[in-house]
Amino acid sequence: MNRTLILAGVLIAMSLTVGTLTAQVPAAIPKGKPAPVVKVPTINKTKLSNGLSIWLVEHHELPLVAFNLVIQTGADHDPLTQPGLASMTSDVLDEGTARRDAIQISDELESIGANLGVSSGIDGSFVTLRTLTTHIDKALAVYSDVIVNPTFPQKEFDRLKSQRLASLMQQKDQPTSIANNAFAHILYSANHPYGLNSSGTTTSVEGLTRDDLVKFYGAHYRPGNAVLIVVGDVTLEGITKKLEASFAAWADAPAPHFSMPAPEPATTRKIYLIDKQGAPQSEVRIGYPALARSTPDYFPVFLMNRMLGGQFASRINMNLREKHGYTYGANSSFSFRKGVGPFVASGGIVTEKTDSALVQFLYEIDLMREKGMTDEEMSFVKKGLIGNFALNFETPSQLASMMQNIILYGLPDDYYSTYLQNIEKVTPVEVLRVAKQYLDSSRMAMVVVGDMATIRPGIEGAMLGAIVVCNTDGDPLP
Amino acid sequence: MSIKLFTIVLTTLIASIPAMTQVNLKIEKYQLPNGLTVILHEDHSAPVVGVVVMYHVGSKNEKVKRTGFAHLFEHMMFQGSANVGDDQHFKLLQEIGAEINGSTNEDVTNYYEVVPSNELELALFLEADRMGNLLPAMTQEKLDNQRDVVKNERRQRVDNVPYGTSWEKISKGMYPETHPYSWPVIGYMEDLSAAHMDDIKDFFRIYYAPNNACLSIAGDFDPAEAKALVEKYFKAFPRGKDIERPAEVPVSLSADILQVYEDKVQLPRLYKVWHSPKQETREDAVMTVLGQVLSSGKSSRLFKSMVYDRQVAQSVSASQSSSEIAGLFMVIATAKPGITLAELNTMVDSVVNGVIASGVTQEEIDKVITGLEAGVINRVATNLGKANSMASYELLTGDPANINRQMDHFKNITPAEVQALAKKYLSAPKMLLSIVPQGKSELAIQKIQ
Repeated sequence: MNRTLILAGVLIAMSLTVGTLTAQVPAAIPKGKPAPVVKVPTINKTKLSNGLSIWLVEHHELPLVAFNLVIQTGADHDPLTQPGLASMTSDVLDEGTARRDAIQISDELESIGANLGVSSGIDGSFVTLRTLTTHIDKALAVYSDVIVNPTFPQKEFDRLKSQRLASLMQQKDQPTSIANNAFAHILYSANHPYGLNSSGTTTSVEGLTRDDLVKFYGAHYRPGNAVLIVVGDVTLEGITKKLEASFAAWADAPAPHFSMPAPEPATTRKIYLIDKQGAPQSEVRIGYPALARSTPDYFPVFLMNRMLGGQFASRINMNLREKHGYTYGANSSFSFRKGVGPFVASGGIVTEKTDSALVQFLYEIDLMREKGMTDEEMSFVKKGLIGNFALNFETPSQLASMMQNIILYGLPDDYYSTYLQNIEKVTPVEVLRVAKQYLDSSRMAMVVVGDMATIRPGIEGAMLGAIVVCNTDGDPLP
Repeated sequence: MSIKLFTIVLTTLIASIPAMTQVNLKIEKYQLPNGLTVILHEDHSAPVVGVVVMYHVGSKNEKVKRTGFAHLFEHMMFQGSANVGDDQHFKLLQEIGAEINGSTNEDVTNYYEVVPSNELELALFLEADRMGNLLPAMTQEKLDNQRDVVKNERRQRVDNVPYGTSWEKISKGMYPETHPYSWPVIGYMEDLSAAHMDDIKDFFRIYYAPNNACLSIAGDFDPAEAKALVEKYFKAFPRGKDIERPAEVPVSLSADILQVYEDKVQLPRLYKVWHSPKQETREDAVMTVLGQVLSSGKSSRLFKSMVYDRQVAQSVSASQSSSEIAGLFMVIATAKPGITLAELNTMVDSVVNGVIASGVTQEEIDKVITGLEAGVINRVATNLGKANSMASYELLTGDPANINRQMDHFKNITPAEVQALAKKYLSAPKMLLSIVPQGKSELAIQKIQ
């Protein structure tokens, strides 16, 4: 079934003449024509005999086909003592199978111009393949071999482990990485998976063995714990036959029990300072554990944040960048995950203005909490989201990422065909309610990575909260 | 209704040679009397239009002590124009859900909007107003604010990033002081501080004339209507003076350059740089292939030797980086803990000297070409990608239809040709830049062997 959305009614009624006309030259800002019809593509679904779900969107504009195997297990399943396990499993997955060694896998795909990608995020792990339709059989042979028959060779594991240890050292060079990792650790502690570095720590990675990866793979890389997304120049019937053959040997098994703990709620605002001597900028992260993707308040929160810090013309960016010139860019977001993800406002701030910027971040967060959005802002945000929706159906990777969203977060199948109605429905009253509920700056952590000697006096003077000096992991220094 | 967009031609020449994949976009090009070049490509497969305005000006049009202007100017183009209020450029576009940005490099400055197809007129109006009516809206206050923003951009992208200043050290080392590629696109802090309103206005008058720009539109529009809108908004602006472009002067090093810097990094990194051909030439294509033979994929020569087999490097890359009037070929290798850059350098030398002495294989070349061809198709997957490529082919080669001939320079590259150019360019004097952790200068290359 094809769902067709008519956006016209929405846009025609709205005028675009919000510009301030300062000109001698008369030239009016043009009004848009009726909005285009956006066709939300049909998702065709089927299931292989081993239980693997296939979700296909046909896209015949280019002679390409893209696959994305979504495993419903990411770094959120890393044991507290083994951060980095999910991502190391991904890293070594394509390094050898019963039939092909690491070099052969790479060479076979390169010789047909296909790209294989393995990665893991917090909410899931992903194996992607992109190939010209003409080479689909050769490409699928390697892709399915990597997914079904990986052998995690000891030699490749050792090499990638040593690489990972070096890249963990390199993370300590990056103020942005230090800030992100310390922020997660401070918000969630070491007792919650969201408090762990998904790349691992030196200690955890040193402790990992090849067997740990084999076990993790065996438990989670199963047809019943996965969905295979296909987008491109193929048909359901044609591709199902090929996939049935390629994945026949992949046996299902029940996934182990898993439950995500609730994070400890924050209580008081504190400022966590991490020294990076001589840094010309301070990396700032402000926030606390906030909401899961499953919240019924998703749409009002999403709209509210769009105005607060979720786009270029947001209040936070206009204030800190365009008005004050403190930063190249500042923003805020709710990281909606399977579990309760954080709210974070962030930016790289010129060292000398760090305290002033912290004050302005809090000003904008508090103002939104007190007053919500104006009707004009509401209309601005809604129109922007509605117009932007039309831009999301151009490429196979855009279509695949929409399906991935539905799969990971258990969204209804008609999520994208009802998306615009859900945007429309949000009212200023709801925005004010969710702002009051979810933007309590008196409980937020403020993490600052910068030149301590320069920034500390100003931050102390601003009296925003107790100061805790931390190491680069976000642990308090004695 | 969907028209046929373009065809992808696959022709297998002989069984052992990879199929040549080319795109075949239908393109219309014309000029307004004021010299503005207009390029149109229709594609009705999604209700989206990509609009690109590319000006043939970049940091190479700047002068010594006046660096960073082209890029600072790019920022000013978002700050409103005669008929668009101060914050309104962004707001009007975000209100219709557009995706927008600007970028500056050595040779061109680029502005784009991706809009829903009903809003093409707004995009054209905004691009026209800032092309023709920017100066009346320019104020000292806006300039001061954007100067701060750009300085912050420099801190964010260069100064507060490990190894972040290496690129400008290379530019400075490889080119004489007066060469337009010798300074960084983002400019030096002291020059940004010195940027004066009059300089900025002069820059606009010279380089932001319609005859120095290309308007490229790809996507879901009606051509007759688009042409009428282009005429309505762009026709009135006067043609500017002819532009004097920086001459292409031959550059070479008379001897090897050795530089060592300490930075806040954990792992030492080696940059090995040679002069190489400019873009859009056969030699550029051959050197691009060589870069990939050396470092793209697990069996590529440098990766296999240094990262995979001996595991002395955390990462290694080799690439041909070419611009309008010159190019550089660069090998970048980051050492694993405990490895010195001299050790890495020896291994790089042995691989590079192996290519110079014995060449590469046809299989290695074919594999690279296959990957490059897949890249061509990926670049035309979006209307923005097509509008961008057409504009840059127009400005840098004079023909937007060269988007359909991207692989022409790569046809029939032979092992002998790769070997000959490796010898020609990589036997010449080079720059060896070592970036090492603070207090660890013993990890750097101390002398040239």
